[in-house]
Amino acid sequence: MKNFSRERFKTGEEYSRALFFLSPFIFLFSISLFQVLNLTLLQGDKYQTIAESNRIYQKSINPVRGFIYDRKGVLLAENIVQRDLYVTPAYIEDSTKTILTLSNLLDMPYELLEKNFSRGVKKVKKYDSFPLAKALNEEQIAKIKVNLESISGIEVKATLKRYVLHEETLAHILGYVGDISSDEIKRDKLLAEIQNTQIGKTGIEKEFDHILRGKPGIQTQERDVKGKLVRILDTQGAKDGKDVYLTIDQKLQDHLFKFFENRRGALVALEPKTGLVRALISSPSFNPNILNSIVDTDEVEKLFSNKESPIFNRAISGQYPPASTLKPFVGLAAIENTVISWDKKIKDDGKFYVEGDPRPYRGWKENGHGRVDMRKAIAESSDVYFYTIAFDLTLAGIRPMLDSFGFGKKTGLTDFEANGLLPDKKWKLGYKGDFWFKGDTINLGIGQGYILATPLQLAMAYSGLANKGLIYKPQFIQPADEKSFKPKKVAEIQLSDDKTWEKMEQALVDVISAKNGTAHKIFDANSAVIAGKTGTAQIKSILPGKEYDAIRENPALRDHALFVGYGPVEDPKLVVAVIIENGESGSEVAAPIVKSAINFYTGGFDAE
Amino acid sequence: MQNKPLSFSVDIRLNKRRNLLNFDYSIVLTVFLLGLFGLAMIYSASGSYTLVLRQAMYFFLGAILMITAAMSNFRKMEPIYLNAVWIGFFFLVLVLVLPNSGTTNRWINLGFIGFQPSELMRFLLPISAAAYLTRNPQIKLSDWIIVLVTTLVAFILVFLQPDFGTSAIVLLSGIMPIILSGFPWRFIIYSFLGGIGTLPFLWMSLMDYQKERIYTFISPEADALGSGWNIAQSKIAIGSGQFFGKGYMEGSQSQLDFIPESHTDFIFAVIVEEFGFLGALGLFLLYAFLIHRLLYVAKTSNSKFAKLVSATLSIILAAYITLNISMVVGIFPVVGMPLPFISQGGTALVVNMITIGIILSLRRTT
Repeated sequence: MKNFSRERFKTGEEYSRALFFLSPFIFLFSISLFQVLNLTLLQGDKYQTIAESNRIYQKSINPVRGFIYDRKGVLLAENIVQRDLYVTPAYIEDSTKTILTLSNLLDMPYELLEKNFSRGVKKVKKYDSFPLAKALNEEQIAKIKVNLESISGIEVKATLKRYVLHEETLAHILGYVGDISSDEIKRDKLLAEIQNTQIGKTGIEKEFDHILRGKPGIQTQERDVKGKLVRILDTQGAKDGKDVYLTIDQKLQDHLFKFFENRRGALVALEPKTGLVRALISSPSFNPNILNSIVDTDEVEKLFSNKESPIFNRAISGQYPPASTLKPFVGLAAIENTVISWDKKIKDDGKFYVEGDPRPYRGWKENGHGRVDMRKAIAESSDVYFYTIAFDLTLAGIRPMLDSFGFGKKTGLTDFEANGLLPDKKWKLGYKGDFWFKGDTINLGIGQGYILATPLQLAMAYSGLANKGLIYKPQFIQPADEKSFKPKKVAEIQLSDDKTWEKMEQALVDVISAKNGTAHKIFDANSAVIAGKTGTAQIKSILPGKEYDAIRENPALRDHALFVGYGPVEDPKLVVAVIIENGESGSEVAAPIVKSAINFYTGGFDAE
Repeated sequence: MQNKPLSFSVDIRLNKRRNLLNFDYSIVLTVFLLGLFGLAMIYSASGSYTLVLRQAMYFFLGAILMITAAMSNFRKMEPIYLNAVWIGFFFLVLVLVLPNSGTTNRWINLGFIGFQPSELMRFLLPISAAAYLTRNPQIKLSDWIIVLVTTLVAFILVFLQPDFGTSAIVLLSGIMPIILSGFPWRFIIYSFLGGIGTLPFLWMSLMDYQKERIYTFISPEADALGSGWNIAQSKIAIGSGQFFGKGYMEGSQSQLDFIPESHTDFIFAVIVEEFGFLGALGLFLLYAFLIHRLLYVAKTSNSKFAKLVSATLSIILAAYITLNISMVVGIFPVVGMPLPFISQGGTALVVNMITIGIILSLRRTT
């Protein structure tokens, strides 16, 4: 057999040779076991001691967060030293006793410290520390320092906390900072490396976090068994964050913020020729320092559960019906589509009827404005005039003009602004499950119905009117040199006749200057010439048989007051959009703010 | 008559082939035990679910390949075994040619997965060598020389990466089949002495970090914050574990990151710190049992090929276990070798599990 030849191999020797060559490993293996025995049992106590004193830590050094300044270099946000009491669970022998001692020393309720402790223990690893009491005062620090030696596992850490100087005035622009959450790490893996630093959560702090944040350094420290620092072995410095200069004009912002006391609303003021945002207000506001350094969690909860939602930024995220402030754009659409000529008059008797519908569309003035052309229709805000041209234009005729002025899309100021809403037939079918009716178009003609815009979008659209068709990208970052600054164009609207721009501007000036203008109340011969438009946004449609007076008994259902304007007309320096929620009259509450803003900015401020 | 090197009589094949699942379950159980224990230790050492999850995926893949290999019939794979070494060479050359980040070229990145060709070679080389040596009834001197030259080329390729530890393993994996297959003793002694003669040259060709490791081994405490750090810290961890250990996830040395590479090469230190001498003893017994069972094939098989392959692969595995542990406990220089089935590292785990699968298959079918 063939297989017999295999017997000529010295089979059997493979195994013994294998054992022979395995023997050094078996030897080494046995020695290793003896070494483990030696280390753990014979020298175990010694190594146990070494392990306990073996406390070389690498701590990250937080970078100093960049400061925030306004356009003139006025400090808006800085960092202040805050002393917090930190505990490390691994070094605390008896937590009840420690907390009791601390509660006596700090003069703080035991329950509060106990709550903070049990909450913190769950969050960190055994050898990591967490804050037990924040923002200690001088007296508390003194008492703790004296007893620091006798209580193991505690430590007073001085950290830099974000501090916003003008508190509520700037809350929505600057936003606030906070610890990095696990959700944020999931979204951005790089954040895991800087876990001990605070990052921006909203506003400028978030938008420009990458500039402000800086890079943490590392310090190698030797600590004793109780976690106390013995010496510092090595330090790699942190790279501090860079400062940010905003386009905001702190004085203007301060001045305008006063108008919003006890009012809900928003304001956006920007330079039409550059897109630089000079003021931005959302009211009610909040104190960002409460969130920058969370000392009292109850206060934070109150802030977030407040029904008036003070944290919400109405100026860029609040979406309102633009109401009559939309009329100039509808008017331009009508002229461009030759639905009407500039001087063609329409009879306004206060009511507009659609064929086959006995129910009238009412104007805001009961008996109407008589025969009105475009100029008068804008100045007096004739609803019937705009019902008529909107009906003739149809939705397809109105939308492109509104779209080119930026309605229904983000302006590009921040990533966090709302889109607004420029409705179309598809949208209505999808979201309302209904077809687009002629009535929807008629309502769109006076800025009511489904259309929604943010105050920022309104300011941007009016900057297009001020610039005769040019709209520049809005921004918060102050250019190094304003004079040579070249803003980015986002829209260039061409009209078939350039004169239409001037005519429209004249009509908007009439709103204030003309005797019948809706905002004539703010007319002042000494003031800069302002072009603008009032608006009164209905939030509840008036049902047949129920008059507005009945509705307005509920303050939350009263109309929103709007005014958007720019000035001085000969060389527009500022465009301002103001909305006062439930303010009812655009001319009485919103227009004075716009006027004050323009006068303060052009005269009051620059004159200084 | 034409040689059919790896084939045996038909009746044996028929007898054995029926029992596809008739392999040594004590080995499979031991491997699973080690692997799962490894996952738990990787979590304790790294605190990272991601790492554990990735290792668990490799473990799953390894388990599938191990069972598949165990159920396969090695005789049918003869051409594959003979030529497997070329795959190893292909990747070894590729890894040197491809531009790589860092100072060493050890990894091949296939986009979704990265692996170390040297790990592949130390497993393919002994199989091909054994297949080549047993392809004829009689081994000629030239066969041995060809295998030796092949081995040296593979050794040099890995050494160039540079990877000192694995290159030594590759050398061992190629030389073992030669020695075990009956290479005359006097030649073995001559080569051994010749090998010692080349040591000075080898020393000169070592990278600085490799030389430093050997210095460190000689006197680890001399520079406790520098290169002796690893060994010193690992000894502290082991010693402070004492008899019962500090408990799972409770080892201060590992939890505070005093042990570098704690989830890879130094994972044994974490095990002893947290489970004490008792845990170490248990692990030693598991490993000893595993090697013992694997060697049983080399002892009882009636196929020379099976004897060579299983003995060599068992020795390699034993070498890994021993060198890693003796390095971690401080009685051997730091060579950068993972602890089989436990250290984090996908290629090593999968290759080790396939190794087990092949030995299981050899045991079943011969």
